[in-house]
Amino acid sequence: MLISCNRLKSYIKDSEDIDFVKVWDIFTMRTAEVENVIIKGEDLKDVVTAKIISCEKHPDSNKLSLLKVSDGNDVYDIVCGAPNVREGLIGALVKVGGMVSGIKITSRKLAGYTSNGMMCAWDELGIGSDHSGILELPSDTPLGILLTDLYPIKDIIVEIDNKSLTNRPDLWGHYGIAREIASITNHQLLNLPTLEVTNNKTDLDIKVLEPNLCPRYCGIKVSNLKNNTTPIDMQIFLSYVGMRSISLFVDLTNYLMLELGQPMHAFDERVVKNIVVKKAKEGDTYTTLDKVERKLNNDNLMITNGDEYFGIAGVMGGLDSEILPDTNSIFIESANFQAGSIRKTAVSLGLRTDASAHYEKSLDPNMCDFALKRLLYLLQKENPQMEIMSNLTDIYPNPLKEKNVILFKKNIGRYTTLEITDQEVKNILESLGFKVKINQDNYDITVPTFRSTKDISMEADIIEELIRMIGYDKIKELPMQMNASSKVWENFWEYEYKVKKILATTFNLNEVHSYIWYDDEMLNKLGIIKNGVKLLSQSKNNILRDDLSLSLLPIIKNNFKNRNEMGLFEIGTVIKNNENHSHLSILLATDEKNVQQTYMKGKEIIEYLFKIFKHQKVSYEHEKPFDYYNEDKSLKIICDNNSVGYLLLFDSKSNRYVGKNKVVVAIDIDFNIFMNIKTKEIIFKEISKYPVVNLDYTILTEENMKYDSLSNILDGFNNKLILNRKFIDVYPNENKLKYTIRYEVGSLERTLTSEELEKFKNKFMKYIKEKGLEIIS
Amino acid sequence: MEEKINDLILMAKKEISDVTKEADLLNIKSKYLGKKSEFNALLASLKDMSSEDKKVFGPLLNARKKELEQLFNDKFDSLSCKIDLSFDESLPINITKGSLHPVTIVAKEITDVLKRMGFTVLKGYEMEDDYHNFEALNIPKDHPARDMQDTYYLDNGLLLRTQTSGDQIHAMEKYDLPLRICSPGRVFRNEDLDASHENTFFQIEGMVVDKNIKVENLIYVMREVLKEVFHQDVKVRLRPGFFPFTEPSFEMDMSCLICGGKGCSTCKGGGWIELIGCGMVHPNVLKNCGIDPDVYTGFAFGIGLTRLAMMKYKISDIRYLNSGDLRFLDEFEIE
Repeated sequence: MLISCNRLKSYIKDSEDIDFVKVWDIFTMRTAEVENVIIKGEDLKDVVTAKIISCEKHPDSNKLSLLKVSDGNDVYDIVCGAPNVREGLIGALVKVGGMVSGIKITSRKLAGYTSNGMMCAWDELGIGSDHSGILELPSDTPLGILLTDLYPIKDIIVEIDNKSLTNRPDLWGHYGIAREIASITNHQLLNLPTLEVTNNKTDLDIKVLEPNLCPRYCGIKVSNLKNNTTPIDMQIFLSYVGMRSISLFVDLTNYLMLELGQPMHAFDERVVKNIVVKKAKEGDTYTTLDKVERKLNNDNLMITNGDEYFGIAGVMGGLDSEILPDTNSIFIESANFQAGSIRKTAVSLGLRTDASAHYEKSLDPNMCDFALKRLLYLLQKENPQMEIMSNLTDIYPNPLKEKNVILFKKNIGRYTTLEITDQEVKNILESLGFKVKINQDNYDITVPTFRSTKDISMEADIIEELIRMIGYDKIKELPMQMNASSKVWENFWEYEYKVKKILATTFNLNEVHSYIWYDDEMLNKLGIIKNGVKLLSQSKNNILRDDLSLSLLPIIKNNFKNRNEMGLFEIGTVIKNNENHSHLSILLATDEKNVQQTYMKGKEIIEYLFKIFKHQKVSYEHEKPFDYYNEDKSLKIICDNNSVGYLLLFDSKSNRYVGKNKVVVAIDIDFNIFMNIKTKEIIFKEISKYPVVNLDYTILTEENMKYDSLSNILDGFNNKLILNRKFIDVYPNENKLKYTIRYEVGSLERTLTSEELEKFKNKFMKYIKEKGLEIIS
Repeated sequence: MEEKINDLILMAKKEISDVTKEADLLNIKSKYLGKKSEFNALLASLKDMSSEDKKVFGPLLNARKKELEQLFNDKFDSLSCKIDLSFDESLPINITKGSLHPVTIVAKEITDVLKRMGFTVLKGYEMEDDYHNFEALNIPKDHPARDMQDTYYLDNGLLLRTQTSGDQIHAMEKYDLPLRICSPGRVFRNEDLDASHENTFFQIEGMVVDKNIKVENLIYVMREVLKEVFHQDVKVRLRPGFFPFTEPSFEMDMSCLICGGKGCSTCKGGGWIELIGCGMVHPNVLKNCGIDPDVYTGFAFGIGLTRLAMMKYKISDIRYLNSGDLRFLDEFEIE
């Protein structure tokens, strides 16, 4: 929001004492964030009022005119291209040596004629964007006066962050900002003059059918308005705060919104019959002032006139009530609408206007009639002959009353250690418009309604007002008192971190972050249909992932542009059965030829994690969680009777998607289950003091026998001398597989005799042969 | 006599240094120290010496003999060692290493310092209900504060959380007082992507609820956290802010580390960088969780982790963070 300091000055007594450049640093610390302070009018020099005393067409140019311009003392030859030049016009002249927009004006030749200066358009003075012609000042304007002395061109414009005003409806107008400045600088806020209306005529026909959505509606009709020209002062102001000047009647409504924060609307009185405020009929259409036809719904609050839609309440009016050039009587609306309803309507219609932005902040309904009387006052200044045609009709069934908040003195230090005296409480709050009664142990505080619509309702709110005005910079830091308990409620996040660190350090994997939704392009390419939870009102990438590994494939694909293999992981949320699940996915991607080695690497990572975090072994079962994984190489990981996750290989289509001749091995672990698996206690195991003998056996099996089956057979051989059994190696040999198995054999009590060893060997060989396998010792 | 011993040792040294085979060395050893060696002869001659001479030459001979033996032993060690040391010790190394995501690293640093101050690290839920994301945080339906955050609503009636603040509510529901928690996590806002806007980014929430908790404590904790992340002392200041779930609410600024507070392009000339939204827990929020606001107070804060990581590592474009581009991620370590 843009704020003009010239306006603020007019609301504050003795405002010349205030440094309006520096005060904004304090404002930022006390009230709201100031984003920018812009000095206006400093780049103008020697721009004076001057009259065109003669005007001739340039002999060779259609556009240019040759002027003689007087500033009251001298006459200047000026060559000018503006279309609106004429004898007698009083405008703004920049003399040679003067400056506009920071550009120095020199005497120069234009199409053969010397121009000793320039007549200015508004935009050249840094005011608005009107470049259609030169300024036309009122005919009674004295000549030779510096324009900056005549009009409020020198100003300081301040940009305040709208977001920091969200909870302060009172700051959505200049007057509210002035109140804060006055309080900060210990100045007095002046009252605004209004026009008092004697209600001795008849009420207008106004009905509000939705008093909850429209708590107040004020209207009045005025006529005999001859002057619809906005004074130049106001035009400059409007331009500085980012509004286009249209006509006095329209500008005044905008001016009031800028001054008090109250949106208003001026209708051409000739078309106003009876006003009814009610909800729209579902499916109806209505064309707003911006000439867009809008489809209405049953939640939209409408202003109707003679049973026709007349405007969308608090958002935008319609074409048929527009102020026309011949309008000389108007109906002025100053209403209050419920913030939520306006917000909903503005969002559903996709139509956010200045008015709706104000209403959404929960404006004070008590401002409606005041703003209206203020507008009438300003209107009458420009139209002294103005006539009031009706009563100020005020539909306000449940007036908002001032609220009282009791602040107990013992609670004043609840949030800080600052000491605040009775006098400070009184001074601060009264300067902000509150009333304060000091009692023995409390303050009885009356909250002005412009603060009570949403902002201030309880003790904490009052304390905030006090300490912010004393200054947050007065609060010094203090360490907390430590309650030395070792209580830790959960360690999920830290457990994740430990796992991540192991993956990054032990296995050199890279942690990635990806999106929680699937990439549509990937799903389409792979022909995968996911029926997960969907994002509303998103047409693309709107399905939430239920498989973290799959959602990481595009990342693999992209990285293959720069490298040949990679290992990456993420611990992220997947959505299954409408629940959040935290999963760990590790993807190892490589060339096809390395598939076995990489798959085994995956297995190593799994077993390593279970070993070091759980001191447990895992087992596997063939199972695949989704279709797009390879049938044979999908293993479910089981630990402590829990299915913890999967070791997977993507199917050929998915592998092809990430790159030609590439494969992706995926590990997917449900992190909650993993975390909750018991960590086995480590119990000291006696180390044999006697020699241990390693016996390597090579067993020949059929070529389709997997280690699993062999292992089952070996499990059937029990002997108390076996300390350990290890798989060493396997390689194919003439339609057979050669497995090398190592037994560690020994005794904890003594050294084995060679007879005992022989006996063991024979028993084992015999057992293996009985199982129909060949053995080479 | 002394001269003779010196000559002998010199000669032996020469031969030892020339020898390359263990067997040759044995021969040389027997030549110098064997029974028939000159050294032995000298030793044998001791017995014919006067007792004065014996006292002088006895220890001398023995010392020199030991010296010589040591020379042989050293040479034996070096000959029996077959290590080939002809490699180039100046060759460079290519480290293969993994990496943690920069956000994880920053989150770890922050949670570490908070843990030292007695905070428990929590983990929240990315898919969240309206109650925890808004309602319980004093943000009723149609509250304009909801406009500040463009929410991703889901077809199951839930939403993707727009802030980690809901974890305040979860913590108060699940755990007892006094409460000290922090919760790093991912949040979602429906925004168009550009160099400084992401729809998926990280925050860390923090909250303390106890008797007698003051704004003063909040300032201390925040400044300590920032000091840890940026590895230097930082100044902080509070400004008025607005969050429906805190009262009073603050924006906390940190003195600009680039210019030291003098004003530069990073801090847009102001010397301060807006970093943390914080405040005292709103009485309504405490009440919503069954806590008596007349007895307990608390503070809460939210820090943009992604933003902090970008500042710390001077990352110019937020889109790198979720890109999964390993050329970018590889640069980060564990600490």
